[in-house]
Amino acid sequence: MTATYVYGLVAADAELPDGLRGLGPSGEVTTVEHDGVAALVGDVPADRPLGTRDDLMAHENVVDTVAAATTVLPMRFPAVVEHDQVVEELLVPHHDRFVRALEALEGLVQYSLKGRYVQEVLVQEIVEEEPAVAELQERIRGVPEDASYYDRVKLGEIVAKAMEQRRDVDARDIVERLSPFARQVSSSTPGQPDDVVEAAFLVARDGAEEFEKEVEELGADTHEWLRLRLLGPLAPYDFVPED
Amino acid sequence: MTVATQPAGGGYVDRGGGGGSSGLADVVELILDKGLVIDVFVRVSLVGIEILTIDARIVVASVDTFLRFAEATNRLDLYGEGKGGKDLTQLTQGMMEGGAKGKTSGVLDAAVDKVEEILGGNRNGDGDDEDEREPRRRPRQRARERER
Repeated sequence: MTATYVYGLVAADAELPDGLRGLGPSGEVTTVEHDGVAALVGDVPADRPLGTRDDLMAHENVVDTVAAATTVLPMRFPAVVEHDQVVEELLVPHHDRFVRALEALEGLVQYSLKGRYVQEVLVQEIVEEEPAVAELQERIRGVPEDASYYDRVKLGEIVAKAMEQRRDVDARDIVERLSPFARQVSSSTPGQPDDVVEAAFLVARDGAEEFEKEVEELGADTHEWLRLRLLGPLAPYDFVPED
Repeated sequence: MTVATQPAGGGYVDRGGGGGSSGLADVVELILDKGLVIDVFVRVSLVGIEILTIDARIVVASVDTFLRFAEATNRLDLYGEGKGGKDLTQLTQGMMEGGAKGKTSGVLDAAVDKVEEILGGNRNGDGDDEDEREPRRRPRQRARERER
């Protein structure tokens, strides 16, 4: 069997940007159309399993380069079908779902925002505000690492808790400030206490500039204690309808 | 803190994405964890890595995290009072070792660590150091009001 890699789906009449480079040996990215929907496809390396760094980067690059120009439903990596089954296995059975999703996401792009505390600033603030921290610091001082292990864990836990409390407030403030510039927001609680926010914003393509500007202003207002990282415009990874 | 990430353009926001300028960690989060899934695909047979179940939110708060913060307060203490038995290099060393206990290298940050885990197909759960906490919704306090 010959395998075909599927990057995503676009409307059949969508204009694709030039210079797309896929993960297969040919590097080509083409489309297979059926009834108004087109699959973005390419060849698959035959001599090795998928999953290298370059494969991942190529998938993202194709999808997000297309997303910058037109609406695309991104496939989760990796999506492979038999070469002659793209229409029968993919486009025919899921046609209505694809059409609905493409219509729902028409003219919209995603931005992903991450924020992390400037650790020194936050830790300083917490040390000043939490008396228990100073007490523990006093007990730890001069004691060998092994002997102070539990005190250090306890101290760190107090700091982490205090940071999480601040984070809940700050994350909400950030999302609230940017929400008026987005159609939808999807945010999650990051794993580490000093990661403040992880949120995806679905933004109108023609409102992207405004959104970016607001993020820049937010960055300027908060740069003393917060580092922001903005990805986008991206395909609407976080907003693909479930079904 | 004066060393800020200030990309071209002079802004305060680090930018990436949009077709190629993302880092691997960003890409992994986007394309392995999200996007359209079609059940019937012959997904796994051609793929060399275990990808179907990735939990992007790994550790809520672990002992390693706590020790990292303890070191951070200790460092402030050193700066503040000029005492303590270690110099900065030793401290940094300790932090890195503490923060990456059992992992391959202390210089990897959490994100890259995760990528390694994924690409290595080595999803060992790490159940022990997950200290699952209730979401903490304490009475709201304005964290940013520091004018003291």
